[in-house]
Amino acid sequence: MDWSAWWDTYSTLVLSIGVYGMLALSIYLTLSCGLLSLANAAFMGIGAYVSAIITLHYEWPFALALLLGTAAPAAVALLVGIPVLRLSGVYLAMATLGFGEVVRVVLLNLDITGGPLGLNGIPPLTTGWHVLLALAATILLLQALRRSRIGRAFEAIREDETAARLMGIATDRIKLLAFVLGAAIAGLAGGLNAHYTFTLSPGNFGFESAVDILTMAVLGGIQGLTGPLLGGAILTLLPELLRGLQDFRMAANGLILILVVLFLPHGLWDPARFRRWVRK
Amino acid sequence: MRVFHRPLLLALAAFTLIPAAFAGEIRIGLAEALTGPASQYGIPIRNGFLLAQDEINAKGGIAGNRIVLVEEDERGKKEEAINVYKKLIFQDKVLMIFGPTLSNSMFAAGPIANMAHLVAFGTSNTASGITDIGPYIFRSSPMEADVVPVTLKAAIKHVGLHKVGIIYGNDDAFTKSGYDVFRQVLQADHIAVVDTETYSKGDVDFKAQLTKIKAQSPDAIICPCLAEEGANILIQARALGIKAPFIGGNGFNTPKLLENAKAAAEGTIVGSPWFDGNPSPENKHFIAAYRKKYGADPNQFSAQGYDALFIVAEALRKIHLTGQLSHDRQALRDALPSIRFTGATGHFAFRAAPLHGGKPGGYDADQAPFVYIVKNAKFTLLK
Repeated sequence: MDWSAWWDTYSTLVLSIGVYGMLALSIYLTLSCGLLSLANAAFMGIGAYVSAIITLHYEWPFALALLLGTAAPAAVALLVGIPVLRLSGVYLAMATLGFGEVVRVVLLNLDITGGPLGLNGIPPLTTGWHVLLALAATILLLQALRRSRIGRAFEAIREDETAARLMGIATDRIKLLAFVLGAAIAGLAGGLNAHYTFTLSPGNFGFESAVDILTMAVLGGIQGLTGPLLGGAILTLLPELLRGLQDFRMAANGLILILVVLFLPHGLWDPARFRRWVRK
Repeated sequence: MRVFHRPLLLALAAFTLIPAAFAGEIRIGLAEALTGPASQYGIPIRNGFLLAQDEINAKGGIAGNRIVLVEEDERGKKEEAINVYKKLIFQDKVLMIFGPTLSNSMFAAGPIANMAHLVAFGTSNTASGITDIGPYIFRSSPMEADVVPVTLKAAIKHVGLHKVGIIYGNDDAFTKSGYDVFRQVLQADHIAVVDTETYSKGDVDFKAQLTKIKAQSPDAIICPCLAEEGANILIQARALGIKAPFIGGNGFNTPKLLENAKAAAEGTIVGSPWFDGNPSPENKHFIAAYRKKYGADPNQFSAQGYDALFIVAEALRKIHLTGQLSHDRQALRDALPSIRFTGATGHFAFRAAPLHGGKPGGYDADQAPFVYIVKNAKFTLLK
């Protein structure tokens, strides 16, 4: 099969790998700061709806739509984050889940979002280059962040928040930064997703996809950037690779996840484990 | 050596026989939800298609060519529907595609077929706007907007409707669009809506809403609900002493409703494109053949799938396949709109969708629905 036929067949799959990689990175960002936030699906939804409404109803350029689709969830995250990030652990998880439910219900009841019918006929604007650029920018940003003062602060907060605060780190601001950046990345991913799936409905961004995104990061491993990308790629590819199993496809999918969690608790990409292997 | 000759010869003969019986294959994609929640619709659809495929090929196929359905599972998810469509179009190089099962999946996958210039043919998509996607989108499933006016007309004659109550799920595309259609038709028929109540998907207790509706003592209660919630609504309404009959949409049109609601379903009025008691020879043959092949009763979805393949077979008989894919795909697209067919679901024809923003759309089903009433725990035709 030549290249263009291959791309025609699998382009959506490749785009999905990139977009879900970005989503896994967005939740990695908050996890790396010790925050268990499950709001990323909702931020993805906000980004997707904002950018789709712009291209569909206003016919503004795609770049502008993506920009606003990135900025809108970041702005919402800023407003929500200030009170919500006072919580930690499971309480934060519950509050962010609640926020996700609020977003879903708002999308259901607004007229501009099409209510339960959602938005249809979104123009096909996302190309491989868009996803590649967005993913590369996300990776470069997070890589730079990891090496910077802020990245070290993330790590300090994750290890011991009280100690970090005593060291003079402005923990509230740093956590808010992680939350807002994560929302922006998720929103960009959502905007890209909307323009190659052509349809949005509020159910796409509910509890199920919040858990999917978390699973990608946890499956891949959250010690670095490679893990979430790997997890996103695997969870996107697995249902397609297992197509031959037909009716047992989703059961096999679940079984593989259970086995990974049981035997590789730090995820698939675990540098510490690789070093142990090398030493042996 | 001699021992081996006969089977070898037989095998050779068999191999030469197959191409003699069938000159070639006509590959048609079938993208349905075969796993996941939507498989309750997808599997009966697939069964209907496979039955039709067997019957057409048993009678010599299309001008000596065998119809081969290439099945793919789209799980009722939009990304998978797109992936499956692309696989069928670019890798399996099918002539056209049936499915996907849910309207939402068609909104996602339909544009792919439209851009690749081949027919996407839905047999179970009832949402409005599906055929606005473009001129390559066809469907054989009548929209709620076509079924509801007929249902209400029959109900008005039967019950004498003056004022009605409505209960519907406001967080689901299917129930919400059903509600929109009912409201429009009620308005056009000058029937007063005395109370409108809503619920969310997955709710099990509807007593508060039903009590409010009961206080207005409507002549009937409109319930564009899915069977899962619908059965509970019926049971709880009867427990509260509501005597008024219920009028349902497409979601009520399933034996599951009767199984779950039992006696509470008596008097419920439903519109549907297919009626299992339809005495036409086509329908009797379909039901008998389906029972024989699957050992189970068919439903509306299998009947629509079964008929759809015959509709396309009619179109295929009218065109000359050249083997050049883009030409053949276009020829099939051009032949389909004029096909008229009588099958298990009755008389069928296509109707061009109205222009959408100046652009031509696809083709909707032009088919008169049946209206049932539940009598003695069975769907019976309402005349």
